[in-house]
Amino acid sequence: MIYLNNAATTYPKLPCVLEAHAAALANPPQGQFRGSSFGSYDFYGDCQTAMSCILGVRDRERIFFTSGATHSLNALLSGLDLRGKRIVATAAEHNSVLRPLYNLSQLKDNEIVIVPCDRFGKVRPQDVERRMTANTGLVIVNHCSNVTGMVQDMEAIGQVAGKYGALFLADVSQSAGCLPIRGDQWGADALVFTGHKGLFGVQGTGGFYISRKQSLRPFLYGGTGRDSSRLIYKTDAEYEYDAGTQNAPGLIALKAGVDAILKKGVEAVQAREQELVRFLYDGLSQLCGVMVYGQKDVNTGPVVSFNIQRLSPADTAYILQNGYGIVVRAGLHCAPLIHSFIGSRESKGTVRVSLSALNTMQEMECLLSALKEITKNVR
Amino acid sequence: MIKVIKRIESQERCAEAGWYAYDFLLAEPITEEEILGLRPLGSFIYLSMLKKPFFKIENHHYFIKGILGDDFFRVAVQRDYPDLLEEIQRFVERPAAEPGADQ
Repeated sequence: MIYLNNAATTYPKLPCVLEAHAAALANPPQGQFRGSSFGSYDFYGDCQTAMSCILGVRDRERIFFTSGATHSLNALLSGLDLRGKRIVATAAEHNSVLRPLYNLSQLKDNEIVIVPCDRFGKVRPQDVERRMTANTGLVIVNHCSNVTGMVQDMEAIGQVAGKYGALFLADVSQSAGCLPIRGDQWGADALVFTGHKGLFGVQGTGGFYISRKQSLRPFLYGGTGRDSSRLIYKTDAEYEYDAGTQNAPGLIALKAGVDAILKKGVEAVQAREQELVRFLYDGLSQLCGVMVYGQKDVNTGPVVSFNIQRLSPADTAYILQNGYGIVVRAGLHCAPLIHSFIGSRESKGTVRVSLSALNTMQEMECLLSALKEITKNVR
Repeated sequence: MIKVIKRIESQERCAEAGWYAYDFLLAEPITEEEILGLRPLGSFIYLSMLKKPFFKIENHHYFIKGILGDDFFRVAVQRDYPDLLEEIQRFVERPAAEPGADQ
């Protein structure tokens, strides 16, 4: 099998992740602030430290872990004080952003404004600014599109948000571990990440960063292992965001993945993935009857979307999987709005190839060879 | 003759968005003759020159797709037409020489 669906979840996982996860399950349990075994260590703090390097934020204590990006976004969007505020998001957002925006009862009276993108998925900072008002409370931007691989100019958009006094929330689910993230430099007030994609962790891990300046009502209340006598939080500063038993094996595995990436260097991962992506763009451009939703050296994330004329995305994916053993993904990719802008709405989405640094050039050649055979037959 | 031994809900709900997709598991791998026998069900695509030939039959309310030699194929119906699954199974399992089968 050739696995090219890494934007959904990476496979294979790094050996060090598998080992760390297995060891965490085999060894005496590590409980955050509740460690009872001799030699227990601060897995939570260690993971915060490692993630602060990935996210480019100095305040590691403001990184909190959850079951993933969806959980994190629900926590942030329901807990930030956005009463009466306009919320600006982009057409490239995932449903993990869009569905909370349109369904959370806390946001039912908020005005949600969507900033369009171009046909490659690029959001122009000036288009964000055009939608800003004095009443805008939050700007949400997906750093790297999970449909087109477009990487947004986060620093410029962060400046726009800051200029209008709005919070800037960056969704780095798709880019964490694949692209450099500079949360502090971008002026990000909040960052959301998942553990099981570019960071090679296990599913059910992820988290968020929230600046110390921001007030956030907790999404969950419960035991934290600190000051169990306290029942009521009297000030915002007392809030805790790590209620309940933490996913220690998951976080230990996540840290192993993050450590491996940091050791290799995020820039080196990015360079490797871009080499594969460039090769794919070149190969796809040689095929007749293929529509590509991106451009070499413009869409630089590890994702390439395309369609084959006369075949639905689902048909192409079915043929690749069942005829050639190549796993890709078809459809809207949980990002329904972007398709109206990139031209894939009528085709009901795209075929998406998404890479990890573990993919090989030989696998790209196999994919292109299969697509060549398919396109020849469809004509 | 095609023999369906089981129908299971497809795991690929997202890829077949808007459809209720099922995989029909077959007693034997599907043959070219059996694939061609499905033509009366709708518009027919057969990519016979692929390493593993692909077929698809589309109708207003359902589609069928699969690969020559696989022991399953996918059937997807619209939300309002669940009874079609039964009809499709009856059709695909019909004896090859049944009168009117190719009309």
